[in-house]
Amino acid sequence: MRPLRLTLALAVTPLVLAAQQPPVETKARPPLEVGAVAPDFTMRGATRYGVLANPVHLSDFKGKTVVLAFFYKARTSG
Amino acid sequence: MNAYRDQYAKLFKNGRGVVLVAISADPDTALASWARDSEFPFLFASDTGLAVAKRYGALAEHPGLTNRNLFVVGPEGRIAYRAIPFREVDPTAYTELGAAIRE
Repeated sequence: MRPLRLTLALAVTPLVLAAQQPPVETKARPPLEVGAVAPDFTMRGATRYGVLANPVHLSDFKGKTVVLAFFYKARTSG
Repeated sequence: MNAYRDQYAKLFKNGRGVVLVAISADPDTALASWARDSEFPFLFASDTGLAVAKRYGALAEHPGLTNRNLFVVGPEGRIAYRAIPFREVDPTAYTELGAAIRE
């Protein structure tokens, strides 16, 4: 192979490989800062009376103060 | 979680105008049965895919779990306060949270 073609082939190869990478998974973000808009969410809900029939959205509580308390795992102290 | 229950009337005004949503990666059925057994008066939400924890920044170091980060969302929809993490064995954590909710 002529030197120029070899150089081009070597230059293009990493680009081709990069294009074939699977999409990067959603990476962990740092905690949202005070002042940031709280993103809406949709999750299945539950209370002491059972699982909720309809999903829970943050937008359901528009106009209220909402405390989002993440915790480790059910039935642990966390 | 017991402290949230015990403080519920004082801190969260029994849910009037203030909504507490406790979030973990547990399935909704596990949350419901725990809430029933412990008589928790507030709402739980199941973040099984951890999408919400990722978006808010509440992933635990242990894979598959959420951590103890707490965010207060004001009526206008912005983060008004955060406890990273919420120190549930520290009484001042509740005092600070109460003050943040009342503002």
